[in-house]
Amino acid sequence: MRDRTFGAFSGLQATVAFTLFSLVFIAVVVVEVVSYNLTEETVAANSKSYTLQLMGEAGQNIDGYITYMKNISSVIMYDHEVESYFADNNETEKTKVTGLLDAIKRTRKDINLIALFGLDGKVVSDRNRLDLNPYVKPDSLLWYRAALRANGNPVISPSHVQFVLDKQRRWVISLSREIYDYRTGSPIAVLLVDLNFSVIRNICANIDLGSRGYVFIVDSGGTIIYHPQQQLIYSNLKQERINEVLTVKGSSFAAGSGKDRRIYTISTSSETGWKIVGVTYVGNLVSDKEFIQIYYLLLGVACFTVVVMLSLLVSFRISRPIRLLTRSMQEVESGNFDIKVKVASSDEIGNLAAKFNLMISKIRELMLQNVREHEAKRRAELQALQAQINPHFLYNTLDSVIWMAEAKKHGEVVKMVSSLAKLLRLTISSGNEIVTIREEIDQITNYLIIQKMRYRDKLDYRIDVDENIHHNRILKILLQPLVENSIYHGIKNKKEGGTVQVLGRRVGSRVLIQIVDDGVGADPERMRDILSSCSEGAEESVDDTNGVGVRNVHERIRLYFGNDYGLVFRPSEGSGTTVDVWLPILE
Amino acid sequence: MMRRSIRTPFAKLVPSIVGILVGIAVITAGFFTWRVLLPARVGRNTKIVVIFKSTDPSIVFWQIVEAGVRTASKELGVDVRVMGPKEEKDVNAQIEMLDRVAREHPAAIVLAADDQDALVPAAERVRASGIKLITIDSGLAGDISSSFIATDNEAAAEKAGRLTVRLLRRRGSVAIISYVKGTTTAIQRELGVKRVLERYPGIRLIGTYYSQDLANEAYRITRNLLTRRHDVDALIALNEVATVGAANALADLHLKDKVDLIGFDNSPIEIRYLESGVVKGIVLQKPFNIGYLGVSTAVKLLKGERVPRRIDTGSLLVTRENMFGRESQKLLFPLINGKE
Repeated sequence: MRDRTFGAFSGLQATVAFTLFSLVFIAVVVVEVVSYNLTEETVAANSKSYTLQLMGEAGQNIDGYITYMKNISSVIMYDHEVESYFADNNETEKTKVTGLLDAIKRTRKDINLIALFGLDGKVVSDRNRLDLNPYVKPDSLLWYRAALRANGNPVISPSHVQFVLDKQRRWVISLSREIYDYRTGSPIAVLLVDLNFSVIRNICANIDLGSRGYVFIVDSGGTIIYHPQQQLIYSNLKQERINEVLTVKGSSFAAGSGKDRRIYTISTSSETGWKIVGVTYVGNLVSDKEFIQIYYLLLGVACFTVVVMLSLLVSFRISRPIRLLTRSMQEVESGNFDIKVKVASSDEIGNLAAKFNLMISKIRELMLQNVREHEAKRRAELQALQAQINPHFLYNTLDSVIWMAEAKKHGEVVKMVSSLAKLLRLTISSGNEIVTIREEIDQITNYLIIQKMRYRDKLDYRIDVDENIHHNRILKILLQPLVENSIYHGIKNKKEGGTVQVLGRRVGSRVLIQIVDDGVGADPERMRDILSSCSEGAEESVDDTNGVGVRNVHERIRLYFGNDYGLVFRPSEGSGTTVDVWLPILE
Repeated sequence: MMRRSIRTPFAKLVPSIVGILVGIAVITAGFFTWRVLLPARVGRNTKIVVIFKSTDPSIVFWQIVEAGVRTASKELGVDVRVMGPKEEKDVNAQIEMLDRVAREHPAAIVLAADDQDALVPAAERVRASGIKLITIDSGLAGDISSSFIATDNEAAAEKAGRLTVRLLRRRGSVAIISYVKGTTTAIQRELGVKRVLERYPGIRLIGTYYSQDLANEAYRITRNLLTRRHDVDALIALNEVATVGAANALADLHLKDKVDLIGFDNSPIEIRYLESGVVKGIVLQKPFNIGYLGVSTAVKLLKGERVPRRIDTGSLLVTRENMFGRESQKLLFPLINGKE
């Protein structure tokens, strides 16, 4: 029962482990999510300001080009040769104008064409021979008309195809400007400067905004100047968020969701009013997003692994002393008081264990004391018993003496009385409880002499104890009760009488003394009763004082030498009883 | 028994710990599978073969289709190969080509059929081997491709017809210079033109002539027609080659003010004739869109998305009056990857 409740999953260790794990799990998840989002936001914010900076630079770049074109137009506008050629029809100036335009064009590779279209149809350009498109009149073209409407201000025409040249159809960005005769204030020509479209394309294409990010430009009217997927947009295969670019307040906005979530960062060119727009995909802002995700995932897994191990360790350490204590208590419950709980910790559990140890040692002490007192009492009782001489035996002996004295058998009286005297002296001699086997044999010999004289032919005896063990020690008055038992219960009841033998020798590491009789044989049940009813206060019949004696012998041996020694009753060969007395070898 | 009672909490925890760790491992593995394997299903290793009607370098139309194909290939990250027979009339070469490509087993084939009937058995074999089939520009009889992306040729031809009616002020004789007889697009364009012309009793259709997709043949037909009879007021040429041939003849005969020529498709020569007034108008298809949508539709199909059976890419009528406008420029001079 106890084992089950303790071993169940709801045990202390499991509870501690689970609580700990859950808490740290939640903490780790929260921290990871928060820091991941922070990382993403930081990356996004960094990217936004970086993109804005890039767009600003691109805008300045473009402004540089436009300013340059405007400067060119100003140079040409105030040139006297130009004025002279167009206003005064001075043909000699033509080569000079061509030289001027050529010189300007040579300064920049990205300029496609510089030409002046006179309102009267005269044309002069940066080259000596200019092949004009015979089928297209310049005044039908948008940049020409726009210049006429602008009152002398430069006009930028966003990306378009230039039709004015023969057989050449290039995408260009045009600056056109009406030229006046400054003396009269009347218009005389339209200047055209064509900037190669690839200039804008290169500015935008060289900006790296990640694998999917890109840059595009729209003018203030929403016309696309440049877009990396211009043809897709022209073909209506793609839409760009131009309206939002034109209307948004601030420098950026976000669009799309999921994988297509992207940020539009807008910078406006001051010269042209064009909006340079950088589109960055949040998904691959920096190509790091996946890396960051994996990094956080691995970090999480590592944390969880450590947490699992730590929570197990901590819960194990907390519950282990308690389990040790419980185990010890169970052992005490099953009767073992010889244990000591080893708990080193100095906390409450350690305190508890120390108190437990103290308690167990107290109990052990009390029990030992109890045993010692009990033993002492037993010993006192036994000494009292041992001091007694069976009064029947004394009476019978003295009766025999009287009888022999009346018959004037003096020799025999002397022999008997002297034996009795020796017997009594050995019995009552106080002091040592332990005697030599020789002394014990003397004592039993005296006893048997007396009994032999009483029973005459009915009793024979033989004593044969190995000389080698004569000096060994034995408890006092050990054999007499056994011999007495053999005589009274074995031989006395046998008509023809019998023999008592006392044999002694070493067997292995023990001494064996045997009392063998060939009497009627003892009732085995009685023998067992005598040996087993060791308990105090057992009923003892008055006439069986001899049984008490035998039991005393058994108990004394066990008390002194332990349970390995004692008496064994068994039938003798033929008839009668043999008592084996097993003793230790005492030097 | 005593020992076991000590071990039990540990022993019982072990499966749950292993469970948690295995769970984390499974989630991680699933995450990677989802992130790495799934997007790779259609990608750099996805092979798509595009077969044109003709790879004749003088035909601008297919060059722009190819530009659309390349743009889509780059944007969608798929491996695209473009091929086709030298001449459009070489139907057998295209059938052979289709069979050969099918044996290489690409993920999808985008086909512009040279003949709507002759290609059908080969196309059936392609489909049977599990290759996705998309047709562009010229389809197949029986509608056996998953999607057909092309100009609505009847609608485009109607635009040419209406311009003719307007130029003739509803009165005059019109001849049609077609290309290969039996070609789906040729049939549909002729149908579209006739549908408009028939509505005006003042308009008389002289006949339809087939140039066999050769500029010289179109030139010869036109020249013969205009020198033999003098009642021809307008010519409608149904494709790029026919338009160029007819325009050449018209220019040589100096008849541009007497005979109105309305053509199809976009090429530098046609644009020049449009500027000079020899050609009064051209109907532009959107070849860039056709090429782009051909590949992007194939990719959608491979990704398991639903695609429309028919996609009309539209057409635009360009005349001398609107050719300098932005909308016309976008189609006349396509910016391919930002290049002029």
